[in-house]
Amino acid sequence: MSIRARIRDGDTEAFEQLFDEFARSVYGHAFRLTGNWSTAEDVTSLTFLEAWRLRHRIDANDGSLRPWLLGIATNVARNTRRAARRYDDALTRMPRSEKVPDLADEVVGRIDDAERLAAIRRVYGRLRRQEQEVFALVVGAGLGYAEAAEALGISVGTVRSRLSRARRKLEKFAAEREPPRPSRQVRGDRATAVRFTREEYR
Amino acid sequence: MNAGEREELARLLPFQVEPELPRDRHRHLKEFVMTEIHRDARPARSKWRLLRPAVLAPVLAAAAAVAIAAPLALGGGEAYAISKKDDGTIHITINKAKNPEELQADLQGMGLNAVVDYIPTGKRCSPQPRSQSFLSKEEAPLVVWPSQEEGFTIDPKVVKDGQTAVLEFSVSEKPDLQVAGIWAGVSTGPVADCELVDSTEAPLGPPRNN
Repeated sequence: MSIRARIRDGDTEAFEQLFDEFARSVYGHAFRLTGNWSTAEDVTSLTFLEAWRLRHRIDANDGSLRPWLLGIATNVARNTRRAARRYDDALTRMPRSEKVPDLADEVVGRIDDAERLAAIRRVYGRLRRQEQEVFALVVGAGLGYAEAAEALGISVGTVRSRLSRARRKLEKFAAEREPPRPSRQVRGDRATAVRFTREEYR
Repeated sequence: MNAGEREELARLLPFQVEPELPRDRHRHLKEFVMTEIHRDARPARSKWRLLRPAVLAPVLAAAAAVAIAAPLALGGGEAYAISKKDDGTIHITINKAKNPEELQADLQGMGLNAVVDYIPTGKRCSPQPRSQSFLSKEEAPLVVWPSQEEGFTIDPKVVKDGQTAVLEFSVSEKPDLQVAGIWAGVSTGPVADCELVDSTEAPLGPPRNN
C-alpha cells in the first residue's frame, strides 16, 4: 500500500514518515514566504496538522506528496491567523523555541545578519502575494510548473504568467539596486548555491 | 523549467535562502504534531473525573511521604516520577493523569514552592491569570527546553524566596497519551486556586494577547 493510501486511511506511522521526509521542505518554503524563523516553525506545525485534517483529499495517483504539502503550507502562511484559530487549543501545547532564532548562529546558518534578512524581505516585498508564492514554489522549493499548479490549485498557464511577472519586477529591482557592497559577500554563499541545486532535484 | 532557468531566476535574489530546521526543533515539532494527531485519531472514551488541586500542601506533603512506597526516583509512584538532576533541575514525567496534589507535595518536599494543576481537555482554570504578578519567561525561565527525554524539566533555582512556581499540565484521559503540555510561571504574589471551568479557549496559562 502506498504512503499516500496509508495516510489517507489514517495511518499515523505513515504520516510520521511524511513529516520526516518533508518537514525541512515545508519549513524552507514557510520561511521564504514569511521571512521569519519562528513564524516558519508555526507554519510548519500547522501545515502538518492541516495535512492530517485534509488527508481524505489525497488522491490515488503515485506522485510525491510534496507539492500538496507545499500548497497547504502556502495557504497556512497566507492566513496564519486563521489556521492558528483552528488549532488554538493545540498551539498552546506546542513546544516553543526558547532561543530567539534570528540571533542564533546555528539556526540562521548562512544568513548571518539582520541586514541580509531585511534584504530578502525587500526583494520579496516587490512582488504581489501570488507572485511571491509562485516564485517561492518554483525557484525556492524547486517545483516544476505542473507541481506548482497542483500545489496552488491554479493552471500551469497561470503559474507561468505569475512567474514571468515576478521575473520582470525582480529584474527591474535588481537593475535599480546598488551593486552589493563587499561586506554583503558573506561566507557560505557558495555552499548555499550547491544546496539550492540539490533541493531542486528532489 | 530547466535547472539553468531556475538558477537564473534565483540570481535575481540578493542571495539564496535555504533555511535548515535544526534537528532538535524538527524532533520537537514532530512530537507535537504526532501527539495532536494521536489525540485526533483516538477520540476520548470515558468521562473525565474532575480533580481538585491541593490546598493544604503541608498536610499533603506528609501524606505523600507515607503514600509513596519505594519510589524509583525521588518521588512519585505509578502516576508520575520526579528526579533531581546534577545541575539542580527537576525532571517530571507524568504517566497517569491523577494525583496532581501528590506531585505538588513532592515538589514542595524538594524545596520548591509549587502549585500544580492538571487541566483536562475542554477545561481551563478560573480565574486566569491566576496571579497579577507573574514574572516574564525571560526573568524566570522555569521550564527548561528542550527536555532531553520524555517529560518536562524545570529549574527550581529561578524561583526565589517568597515566590511560587505555578505549573499547569494539560492532560487527556486517553490511556496512552496522558500529558500533552506544560505551562509554567513564577508568581511573586498570591496565586489563585484553580477552579476548572468549561472552555473552548487555550487550556493553559493566562489568555494569550494576540
